[in-house]
Amino acid sequence: MLAGEEVIEQMWGVSLDRLYESAEGQRILSCIQCGTCAGACPYGEHMLYPPRRIITMLKAGLIEEVFDSDSLFKCVNCYTCMTKCPREIKLTEILLPLVKEQSAVRLEEMPAELQKAIENTYRYGNSYGESARKRAAWIDTIDVPIRILAKDPTPVDILWFVECDLSYHPRGQDAARATALLFHLLDLDFAILGPEERCAGDCGRLSWEPGLAEALVDYNLSIFEKYRFNRIVTNDPHALDAFKYRYPMFEFKYKTTATVPELHRHLDRLAPMLSRKLDYLVTYHDSCCLGRHNGFYDEPRALLEAIPGVRLVEMEHTRENSICCGGGGGGMWLDTWYKQQDIERLSDRRLREVIATGADVLAVACPYEVSRFEDAVKLAGYEDRIIVRDITELLVEALGGH
Amino acid sequence: MKGNGEIRIGFYICHCGSNIAGVIDVERVAEYAGTLPGVVVSRDYKYMCSDPGQDLLRQDIAEHRLNRIVVASCSPLLHEQTFRRAAEAGGINPYFVQMVNIREHGTWVHDDAEYMTGKAMDLARAAALRVYAHQPLERKQVPIKPDVLVVGGGIAGIHAALTMADAGKHVYLVEREPTIGGHMAQFDKTFPTLDCAACILTPKMTAVRAHPNITLWTWSEVEKVDGFIGNYTVTVKRKARYVDEDLCVGCMECIEACVYKRGKFDDEFNVGLSKRKPVYIPFPQAVPPVPVIDAGNCLHLSKGKCKDTCVEICGDRKAINFEIEPEYQEIEVGAVVLATGFQPFDATRIPYYGYGKYPNVYTALELERLVNASGPTGGTVRLPDGRTPERVAIVHCVGSRDEHYNRWCSRVCCMYSLKLAHLVKEKTGAEVFNFYIDMRAPGKSMEEFYNRVSTEGVHLVRGRVADVYAEQTDEKKTNGQIGRVVIQAEDTLIGRIRKIPVDMLILSTGLQPQHDSEDIRRMFNISCSAGGFFLERHPKLAPVNTFTDGIFLAGTCQGPKDIPDTVAQAGAAASEALALIDRGVFELEPNTAYVLEEECSGCKSCIPLCPYTAIAFEEEKKKAEINEALCKGCGTCVASCPSGSIRQHLFEDEEIYREIHGLLAYA
Repeated sequence: MLAGEEVIEQMWGVSLDRLYESAEGQRILSCIQCGTCAGACPYGEHMLYPPRRIITMLKAGLIEEVFDSDSLFKCVNCYTCMTKCPREIKLTEILLPLVKEQSAVRLEEMPAELQKAIENTYRYGNSYGESARKRAAWIDTIDVPIRILAKDPTPVDILWFVECDLSYHPRGQDAARATALLFHLLDLDFAILGPEERCAGDCGRLSWEPGLAEALVDYNLSIFEKYRFNRIVTNDPHALDAFKYRYPMFEFKYKTTATVPELHRHLDRLAPMLSRKLDYLVTYHDSCCLGRHNGFYDEPRALLEAIPGVRLVEMEHTRENSICCGGGGGGMWLDTWYKQQDIERLSDRRLREVIATGADVLAVACPYEVSRFEDAVKLAGYEDRIIVRDITELLVEALGGH
Repeated sequence: MKGNGEIRIGFYICHCGSNIAGVIDVERVAEYAGTLPGVVVSRDYKYMCSDPGQDLLRQDIAEHRLNRIVVASCSPLLHEQTFRRAAEAGGINPYFVQMVNIREHGTWVHDDAEYMTGKAMDLARAAALRVYAHQPLERKQVPIKPDVLVVGGGIAGIHAALTMADAGKHVYLVEREPTIGGHMAQFDKTFPTLDCAACILTPKMTAVRAHPNITLWTWSEVEKVDGFIGNYTVTVKRKARYVDEDLCVGCMECIEACVYKRGKFDDEFNVGLSKRKPVYIPFPQAVPPVPVIDAGNCLHLSKGKCKDTCVEICGDRKAINFEIEPEYQEIEVGAVVLATGFQPFDATRIPYYGYGKYPNVYTALELERLVNASGPTGGTVRLPDGRTPERVAIVHCVGSRDEHYNRWCSRVCCMYSLKLAHLVKEKTGAEVFNFYIDMRAPGKSMEEFYNRVSTEGVHLVRGRVADVYAEQTDEKKTNGQIGRVVIQAEDTLIGRIRKIPVDMLILSTGLQPQHDSEDIRRMFNISCSAGGFFLERHPKLAPVNTFTDGIFLAGTCQGPKDIPDTVAQAGAAASEALALIDRGVFELEPNTAYVLEEECSGCKSCIPLCPYTAIAFEEEKKKAEINEALCKGCGTCVASCPSGSIRQHLFEDEEIYREIHGLLAYA
């Protein structure tokens, strides 16, 4: 279910009235109204207009009515509808963002949390509203040399795109330190942008603010041009999506991968370093962007299985059938709004599946998930039963002597 | 052109009603053609293919002593034979006719009258120049062998074999399983009439075995096919059964006596729902009623150590023989009917339907065995924990109508799903939910059957199942009961997401080509459609023929279909094969390639290039030799021969150069 280059090409500049001009857009006309999208959607039951009905309304010329509903506020861009659609209609790539944009335009009042996040990102380049200067403050908390390109612009192999959560969120910084240590031990040639880095913009694009996304793309591209590097590695699967599927529309040409598959490439060198036994029963939560959208299902599991003592157990919904944590598509900043609507957060729903496995550790690979699931664990009172860890944190914990 | 005497060409342009004349100024073209070298008569006529049109040709041949004909009309595919026959009737060699396609290549694709009239003139000039050089050719006749091979012993193969055997032909029926019967033998009842599959099938199976004109080879596979229409040489591998079919009396005592006291290995016929011994018979009515020994699991054959109780009980009959080796039989047949069937879609490929993950998720074929009175449960529908299901869901279109798996509609699933709903309800009283996308009930009595099952109270939910997961229950199940699975789908007619917990889930898997259909395709040199089913020559007008003469198709190897359609198609394939064989001879088109022996250097470069394996190397002469019966006249070898020593009738260099010259003369 990977979006190929032709999809990227076709998405660029497409508006609803020109939808059927591209081959990918025309697929919408092949919809058989089977309802798989609605049935598979984690919030489908809360939508007046799930994707199936959006398509019928569109075909019937009644799409305006859809714009007036809040159905797509519940779309978390998890790619489930698109992955299961028997007609391979790229709902999450093409149709849903366009409808979302229109819904946002007609909204009387943006949910406050989301509004704040968008404003912060406009102003500071991160949703936290933190100063850009503090973006690389975390590197002083670790005893690993980390090069900032502005200070030393010599060419480098990997531009490590740290992203906002790893830069600012205290739990994200844990993953940032772990990743830096692993890259260092693996002797990778990497550097970061530090204060020059701004949010990659994927969530901007998918959470109804295409203007913001484009501003961020323009900015980041202008920074990339200043330096010479071979490829980009990022911990945030949403940033991976941005670089893989959105930036190429703006003549971005760098190879990009996520930290998990990058570490997996070096597994033969990494595995011998993992000398400390971790007696954990671990369940892994597939990130939507890493899994369904980019096909990395085996790599995170292989990394976990390389840790001595770790036993893996799968949840009820796993791999391509995994359930989203609820953080995508702006969901990260809609928790209050969902609560007002009396809709259960997906992280809370997902946690029940985690607990049912009897696992000690929930391993994740997306920076949204650590905070979302730790919050869910607290809310449900399961602090003594489960801990949430980024895969990089577990790998570092297993390093033993290093 | 020596010996041709004076060339006198007749040119005819057809109006084809307004199809051609509506765009082209046919009178102007005829007038122009009359000025071309050698043309002595030039006419336009309303319908050249009509009887008066053909008469016109004949009269002109006689009156104007014509010896070449050019007809500008439709595609030669349609009427080349018509005009060749007319010319022959008029007394000239049929290959002195050349057609100009000004309809499919002209007026149907251009609407500019001036341009098209000019193009027709150019094409007419090319044809007139070309036909000037045509040589007289002869159609050769090849005798046709009287026997027939049927590959596959399902209902299609059985019906085709019986039809041809009844017509007095000798039929070889080759089946790779130990018994004939195919998938139909595994079914319980058949829609829409609900008659028992075994009751209607087994008499035909017995008839096959008893028929004096049928040689039945089960546990056998086609290994090699050589030859061409009317003259196929086929090698059949008869796998080692270890039970001599001629000596076995079908008492089944060996099975009883086997050192394995009860079944231990997955029973293929019951799709793994029961166990069999290493010596077994697929089902009691199997034909032939001869056991087979599974060499991989038989202690004597795999370990070399066994008390051989089966041999002991067989005693003087001496039917069990561990020394039997695979045997290769070579047969000569005039025609082949391929009836190799289908395989069901592998449900594990859709992980979110839970097949292989939850013990209470079944495929439809498994259910057929469960509801069958001679099945592993004696016809009782129960869950692996022994309980009778109270709620059952049936999912239509599993693996079908899906870009990720099979794009096609498998055509039988809607009806068999309704049938299973009826049977499950009848046997268990369970509440049954059928999840469908579109209900497809075309065909005789099908809509009535849909009506009947609907009124029986089956819940028909319009929505494709999007997720299947274990029901979360608060209390711990300790009594070994299998938990329910939740079926999640949008009920598109009410616009709500439904989550229905059920005890049993049945996946109506679609039909797809056999796993080795590509090997069969290559062996018989036929084509496949996009999905991998064998390709018929024409979807409407030659539905049982293939592009290889003498090879016919029957049943689901050509595409998904139900039993009535399969039988009808098998009958059609049989009658096409009979029509071919009863003719006794086959006429070959003479437009084949030929080798100028004195110039051939024997480099063999043409041999692997021939798509029809028509070229062989004549070892004695060290020259390439082309089999006229196999050659389709594609011209590949002609173009590739480094010494230019391969030529082709009707496509001689002079003919082609003259045609090109004619085409380019406008410049």
